[in-house]
Amino acid sequence: MSLYPSFARPNSLAQASELLAGLSGGSVIIAGGQEIMPYINHGAMQPDIYIDIGGLKELRGISEADGVVSIGALTVHRELQGNAIVAEKLPMLADAASRAGGGRQVHNRATLGGNLVAMHPLYDIAPALLALGAEVELVKAGETRRTSLAALMHETSHGLGSEAILVRVLVPAMAAGTGWAYEKLKLSGGAYGSANAAATVQLDAGRITAATLMIGAVADRIIDAAAAVQGLIGQAWTAAAAEQLELRCPALVKQPLSDQQGSGEWRQAMAGVVARRAMAAAVARAGQK
Amino acid sequence: MDDLLVQSVLVQWRVNGKLHEIEAMPGMSLLDAVREQLGLTGTHMGCQTGHCGACTVMLDGRIVKSCLTQAATLPRAEIVTIEGLKRADGTLNPVQQAFWDEAGFQCGYCAPGMLLSAMELLAEHPEPTDAQIDTGLAGNLCRCTGYRSLVRAVKAAARKLQDTSGQTPG
Ligand SMILES: Cc1cc2nc3c(=O)[nH]c(=O)nc-3n(C[C@H](O)[C@H](O)[C@H](O)COP(=O)(O)OP(=O)(O)OC[C@H]3O[C@@H](n4cnc5c(N)ncnc54)[C@H](O)[C@@H]3O)c2cc1C
Ligand code: FES
Ligand code: FES
Repeated sequence: MSLYPSFARPNSLAQASELLAGLSGGSVIIAGGQEIMPYINHGAMQPDIYIDIGGLKELRGISEADGVVSIGALTVHRELQGNAIVAEKLPMLADAASRAGGGRQVHNRATLGGNLVAMHPLYDIAPALLALGAEVELVKAGETRRTSLAALMHETSHGLGSEAILVRVLVPAMAAGTGWAYEKLKLSGGAYGSANAAATVQLDAGRITAATLMIGAVADRIIDAAAAVQGLIGQAWTAAAAEQLELRCPALVKQPLSDQQGSGEWRQAMAGVVARRAMAAAVARAGQK
Repeated sequence: MDDLLVQSVLVQWRVNGKLHEIEAMPGMSLLDAVREQLGLTGTHMGCQTGHCGACTVMLDGRIVKSCLTQAATLPRAEIVTIEGLKRADGTLNPVQQAFWDEAGFQCGYCAPGMLLSAMELLAEHPEPTDAQIDTGLAGNLCRCTGYRSLVRAVKAAARKLQDTSGQTPG
């Protein structure tokens, strides 16, 4: 730590990447600041160097090409909620972004990149993006690479936040007729859910042909409930199928979180409840425009 | 590359219509800059964690929590604080007037967040539903009122703005 931190605002991705590669550590990337400022304000974080990425145009903009929606890391929650491409092609992402806490002020500045890099288990955007099969583009020491968000969340040395920059998120546009739902079960009026679930589903003649389900806020990582969903394929969404799903999900939560959002045992049970609710709402929406 | 690194940033902000040039030290929040360097103490500090909303200002047309915004990351900015809400003739703007008429506030500590949130809400939803008012004010905590008077004031402000139609909040 330094009493006199330094600051840089590179104006291109290449410049930022070169700068980060040349620094020996102790530097912190800042985007909207919504995540790190509380720690800085209270002295819990005292970086030597701030790298402000707000000037990087490469990290801005939302576009669609060949069925993939590309969203710049600096896109704020409010844009995710209101952008026409996101609303049409990725409605679940728009919905999840609107469910985040902090109020309008936070939605106006909190970036997609900052939300994902925080990798906070209680956050809302990652479950939705995982359920949609999102990929991410990263730059580290001048090298660009693309990987699935799911794989990134298990990497331990991605360097994001200090050495590596998250550039864009690439999300396959939701196929027409895809059912989807984001469920956030809150214990209080506070920001965070006690159990969150993101579900997508495809139906053919009343039977489930494909489904994805992610459960957040119940463990230190977002849980891919593919194993629980597998049993639904080929079936109609009946009361029995719903019950089966609800009972299967808690078993996927090996070490439940126990915090202000509720006790571990209860969170484990709620994993099943939000999963059932999300899938039911997704099925109800499937096939509708 | 190292020459990109600086120890302070000279920022240029138009604050409540007036141009300021200030030196922002790395790490300093916009809240501290506004209160300490510009002396605009109407912007309140309640938590510095982003929860209370008392530090709300308008930055380039959008409301933000100044405690969560780092001053040095804003080389150029248009900022409106609660001091800048009154009309040119010194009278309260219609939203402020509605909060006054309805006794919306008690102590008023939460006023920056509540007023600016109400203004942004009404600019987007001139006739807000109860749910829209709840979402619109959600970023702010009030320790005094129990929120009913605030909601009443927002509704009164909406009517006031409709009456003086064509006029935008502020
Ligand atoms: C009061 C409050 C309530 C909230 N409630 C919710 C909620 O209910 N649900 C939810 O999902 N979120 C919630 N959030 C979190 C919010 O969405 C994130 O804090 C925000 O998105 C972070 O973005 P930022 O740009 O402000 O991050 P910053 O603070 O600027 O950065 C956050 C971290 O990410 C790194 N970083 C940022 N951008 C990049 C990049 N492009 N490449 C590499 N590293 C990067 C930084 O180094 C830092 O480590 C809440 C936040 C607040 C303040
Ligand atoms: S002081 Fe900024 S939100 Fe409380
Ligand atoms: S009136 Fe006192 S905090 Fe709101």
